[in-house]
Formats: sequence, structure tokens, C-alpha cells
Amino acid sequence: MGNPDRVREFVEAFGRLKAEVQNVIVGYDEVISNVLITLFAGGHVLLEGVPGLGKTLLIKTLAAGLELSFSRIQFTPDLMPADIIGTSIILEDGEGRKHFQFQKGPIFAHILLADEVNRATPKTQSALLEGMQEGNVTVSGAPHPLPSPFFVLATQNPIEMEGTYPLPEAQLDRFLFKLRVTYPAVDELNEIIDRTTRPGEREVRRVMTGPEVVRFRELVREVPIATHVRDLASLIVMATHPDWEHAPEMTRRFVRYGASPRGAQALVLGGKVRALADGRYNVSVEDLRAVARAALRHRIILNFEGEAEGVDVETLIGHVLDQAEADSRRGKEVFLR
Amino acid sequence: MTDTGVLERLVSQVGWQIRRRRAQFYGLRGLFYGALVALVPLFLKDAVGPSAPLAAVALVLAGALAGALVGMWLPLARQDVARIVDRAFGLQDRVATALEWAGRPDRSPLVELLVADVTARVEGLESRRPVSRLHPRELKLLPLPLLLLVVLALAPAVPLPTGTLPALSSAEDSEAPEDRETRALSSERPQAGKRELLERAQMMERNLGARQGGTGGTQAGDLSAFFKDTALATQRPDFSSFLKKGDDRLRMLEQVDRLPDLRRDFTQSPYKVILQKKKELFGGLRPDQVSPQKLRELLEEMERMGRKGGNWGGETGEGLEGLEQGQTDRALEAMEKALSKMRAMEERGRGGRGLPGGREADRRSGRGRDGGAGDSDIDADFGEGSLPGKGRSQNPKGDATERLRAMPYDAGVEGEARAGRKEGFDTNLLGKGASVPSRLHYMGVFGQYRKMMEEALAREQVPRDYQAQVKEYFDSLEER
Repeated sequence: MGNPDRVREFVEAFGRLKAEVQNVIVGYDEVISNVLITLFAGGHVLLEGVPGLGKTLLIKTLAAGLELSFSRIQFTPDLMPADIIGTSIILEDGEGRKHFQFQKGPIFAHILLADEVNRATPKTQSALLEGMQEGNVTVSGAPHPLPSPFFVLATQNPIEMEGTYPLPEAQLDRFLFKLRVTYPAVDELNEIIDRTTRPGEREVRRVMTGPEVVRFRELVREVPIATHVRDLASLIVMATHPDWEHAPEMTRRFVRYGASPRGAQALVLGGKVRALADGRYNVSVEDLRAVARAALRHRIILNFEGEAEGVDVETLIGHVLDQAEADSRRGKEVFLR
Repeated sequence: MTDTGVLERLVSQVGWQIRRRRAQFYGLRGLFYGALVALVPLFLKDAVGPSAPLAAVALVLAGALAGALVGMWLPLARQDVARIVDRAFGLQDRVATALEWAGRPDRSPLVELLVADVTARVEGLESRRPVSRLHPRELKLLPLPLLLLVVLALAPAVPLPTGTLPALSSAEDSEAPEDRETRALSSERPQAGKRELLERAQMMERNLGARQGGTGGTQAGDLSAFFKDTALATQRPDFSSFLKKGDDRLRMLEQVDRLPDLRRDFTQSPYKVILQKKKELFGGLRPDQVSPQKLRELLEEMERMGRKGGNWGGETGEGLEGLEQGQTDRALEAMEKALSKMRAMEERGRGGRGLPGGREADRRSGRGRDGGAGDSDIDADFGEGSLPGKGRSQNPKGDATERLRAMPYDAGVEGEARAGRKEGFDTNLLGKGASVPSRLHYMGVFGQYRKMMEEALAREQVPRDYQAQVKEYFDSLEER
């Protein structure tokens, strides 16, 4: 298959999958796009929203649209790491000999829904860490590779924080995007009512296989990015660091820790998928701007003053983007700005 | 190798557009600064000569040309032009990415697609002039120097300062001596250049002399005439006239902004009157050209004033004697001394420090622990010391302890019990105050203090017994 066909195939597949999800989920166009971007970028996504907005349904619908295995773990405070990863049990063979056999946990699935991930203890949450980053888990000293593609979709509830364990920064950083699921608009709500209170269920067709997802992930990484666009990504990430000499005043004042290099990777990878899904063969500045909030909002840790002042991270990222673009043009001659 | 010829051509075209726009931009900027520089030869038209306008035009053109050349040859990177192309045509960084990746060995197959895609898009572009014209900030100000250039070119040369002080006395020096003599003799006649001086002198003379009736001496608009009231002094009392004048005064008082300077007459002291007359008499003449008759009149007037309380009678007498002997220089010298004494006396009066027995007067007279000099010495000091830059501070400088020792009059007091209706204490100043007959002041000040005491007793909540004690204390003091 030639390259033009591969790109065309990706664009079509992306559109088909999105359409299947939107067949069930009303609205949330940007959220669905970003979930798909995360899927094809090879990352994991954290969905945050109050209960009842359809986060879990969105993920289940996506899983249904892919010919991939799907697991769902409802995180609770008494959940143990072994409940996620699996455990070794003693089995007896036909000859009466006993031996340990590793029983895979629900993490061994292509698509893992970690529902209300912040309700489990940090110990259990950390059980996801290795799998999310390395693509394998180690049990009793033996590594067990996770299936490919491996895609974790976690949800968390920003309210009812009592009895929850906010995700540590190290674990947050492992999510490529953090998406905020907000209340639907009135017309979307009306559509939700119509769809869910009538008899019959909408069926979701499987439009993409696992190997296709892997192939598209490889294709995404071939998308070229110009030097000035890449430099802008670096400037955006650096502008979130309060210690950077050119950091904007807002960052210096309200931010304790800025985004890690994973943030820059998320920007560029997300930009590549977005460009390709848009039928383009290169990453543009607009792509970076489009994915910046999803890629950076969970990587910026506000300081006490920022928390006390109620600084909105989204606003701060917008400021950082403007500042970074201004920095990229600074010093240029008037006709080149 | 991917063919990016179309993209290269587009970038090249846009690059030239940028250079042209830059040339215009910097050319205008250069024109502005060239015009500013060109003002210089036109200002110095006298020095530069007839070629000044040509030089100005050349500078203006040179500025514009230099700016255009600078704009044309400023460095221009291909990547920057590609970014401008992308922005201008909405190509979302396609051109920049394609040009950058086309030549890279690690390019992916997608780069081929990218180049093909962007080439197709570029070939479909209708307009290829993405660079808009920009104007420098200086363009708004450009008409000013250009207008100035035109005005200066048409106007006559600006006169240049010669660098030497004007010879103010040369014209008078060149006049014939007899003319000066004539002018000196007729100095009372009004002259255009000295009108103000003469008016002031006449007014001062009127003030010094007996105030005769009539208001003919005042000028129209001179509001002080209402307040001088010279007519009423010699006329019979005319109540209705007085009321009328009083009404005028009240009306004037309502016009605060037009009130006359009532202090003006007070500032015209005898010393200033004499000084004015002296200046009027000399009028730029050398001492040997001064009219002896006028000088005699001036000295006689000074002598009259000295008899009223001045101490310059000896000097004026010496001056008159010198005049009789034909020694004008001696008369002038004596007049200067007398003037110095008048000035010193006025200084003392103005500062309120000339009161007999006052501390300042004592301090000036040098009377203190160490005795001190007499009046004549003080007068000489003040006559000279009042001039700017020639003063000699009365305060000893140096260590603070030394200064305190030098002025001990407020360093300490001691009391002495004396008999009265109640037992009281005399407070004797240790320093200069002890040697001064200050009883008169004491009585004056005592009245003030007594009044203040009564006010304080009425205002403050002082117990009745204490009030009685305070009053008795003051009564005991009053017995002295």
C-alpha cells in the first residue's frame, strides 16, 4: 500500500471511528477527537468530569468500535494491586504436581477503563504505572508484556473528594492528555434524552482492528515537523517553568512545577495525529495550540498562591501560548515577525 | 531528491517582495533622518555659503538612499520567508516544513506527499504578493523636517552668535565729553531709556517730603492713590468726601486681585531713595564728570536725613568740605561711606534686630564676654556684608561645643530669692542678657504672658487651688 493510500486510510478510519462513537455519545466532539488522538499517538487519557456525563459510556463505545479486548476496573479504596495486575496461584496438574501459574489481571487487555481511578489507594494506582509507561508488568520477577495496542482510559471525579486519593504527579504525567468532560448544551441534552429513553439500543460497529491501530501509530510518527514548530513546542513547555529566565510573569507567580519533557512529546505527538487526521502531512502551529491545553493542564502544578487565588490552569496555558509565540518572534525584523 | 522548484520560486519571489518593501520602509526612515540632518547646513547658511540648499538636498537624498540600500541588503533567511508565505496564504506551515524536510536524508515518505501537496496548493494560488506595505513611525513626522527645510531654504540666513559679549558702553564712550556734560546737567529731563527710574525717583521724593494736597501726582490706574490719602491730611475735614473715599476703599478691598501693593512705600527706604538719586546722578558717567552742584544737593539731603537719627553726619560733612575744596573724589568717597552706613542701618531695621537691648543687636555689636568692637565696626561690616557673596557669617564655625561656648546667653540661668508679697525668684541671664537693661521689654512681655496665662486657665481644666497659686505668682511678679 502506498503512502498516499495509508494517509487516506487513516483519515477515513479516524473519521469512521469518530462517527461510531458519536453515534452513541451526543456532543463532546473535541473530547472524542482528543481521545482518538491519544489512541493513535500511543498514549493514555484521563477523563475528568462529574458523574453522569457519559465518560464511561464514551470509553465503552470506543472499545466497542475497535476489535480489541476491553477491561473495566472500578477503583475502590480496598482494591489491591493484584486485583489489577493479577496473581500467581497454585495449580495441580493431572499427575498431582503443584505449580504456580500467573493468572492475568484485568490490565491485560487492549483497552483498560480505570473508572474513578482516584478512589483507589496510591499503592494500587501505582500498579498501573509500569504498564502505562513500559507496556509490560513484572510479577514475581517475571515480566509479562501487555497486549499491543495498550490503551488506558481513566476517569476521575473532581467532586466528592472525601475518601479519594488524588493521583500523584508522577502518575498524572503518564497520561498523554487530560480531558475535561463538561455539561452538555441544551440541545445536546435533549438529544441525549431522546436517545436513551426510547426503546432499542444503538449498535456500534467495529471499524478498526488492533493491528490497524498499531500501523496508524507508526504512520503518525512519520509526520514531519518544521524546526520552528518544534521550537515553539519547546518554548511552550519552558514557559510553564517558573525558574526559566523568560518565563511569563503569571508562571513565575502562580506555578510551582512546570511541564516535563513528556509534555513536549505530548504536544508534538498530539499535533502529528491532529495534522494527519486533518489530511495534512505536517505539524503546524495551529496543531500545537489545539492540543496544548489537553497536553499541559495536568502537568502544571500551581503553588500556594495560585491555589489561593483560584488561578485557572486553562487561562494560564493560554497566556503561556501567547507568550511563547511572542518569544518565537522576538528579535525578528519587522517584516519577518 | 524531491522537486521543490515551485516552492523555491515562490519563496524567491516573496523574498524579493520583502526586500522591496524593506527598501521602501527603511528608505522612508532614512529620508526622515536625512531631512533632520539636512537642517544643519540650512541653519548654518551663513557659514556654509550658497551651497547650503544643495547640501541639504544631498543629505536628504543620501539618507533616503542609504535607508533603501540597508533595507535591500538586510539578511533574509529562506525559512523566514517560507514562514511568511505560509502565514500569508494560510498554508499552515506546509511550505516551511516541505522546504526544510525535502533536503534532509532522514525524510520520511510522507515528505514526498507533503511536497506534492503543497506544490499543488501553491500552483493554485491566484495572488503571489503576500507582503503588505509597512510604514515606519517616522513617516507621520516626516512633513515637519521637510517643511522646515523649505522654510529655512527660503528664509534669510539665521544670524549666528559672535561669541563675544556686547560692548554696552562703547557707544557712550565714543560720544563727545561735552555731550555727556550736557546730559548730566539735564538729567532731570525725562529720557526714553530712563523713564521708569525717573518716575520712581520722583515718587520717592514726594513720599519723603511733606505731603501736599491733591492727587495730581498719581497716575491713572494707580490704585495705591486711594490708600495714600494725601489730600485729607491738609484739607478741612469733609465728612461726605471722606465717606465717599471710604466707599471707594471698601469697593477696592472687595477686588482682592487688584489691591495695590501697600508695602511698596515701606520698601522705599531713605537708603534706597538716596541710592536711586546717586545712580540717577551718575548715569554712566565717570566720577570726574559728575555735576558738583548735584553732588552737593545729594550730600546735603543725606546730611538732613542723618540729623534725624543717622550716624553718617561725619561722612556727609567731610564730603561737603571736599566739594568746597574742589576735591570731588573725596566727596564721592565720603558719600559712599555714608551710603554704607545708611544701608547697615536699614539692614538692622528690616530684620527687626535693631531694637535696643536685643540679643541680635548685642551680638552684632560684639558686646559679650569679650567686650567687642564699637558701632562703627559693625556698620562697616554690614555695609559690605550685605552684598551678595561678600557676607561674613556672624556664627562661629567649627565644633558644636565651641559654638555653644561662643554664644553662652542661653546656656544657663540661675535664680535669686527676693522678697515680695510672695517669695519670688529673679531669673538672671548669665550671658549677654544680664548686661542689657531689659526691664522695658520685660514689662511688655509680662503682659503677654499674663494674658496667655489667663487664657490657659480658662481653657484647661486646672484645679481651683492651682489657679489661685498661678495667679498669685503672676501678681508677685507684677510688683516688680
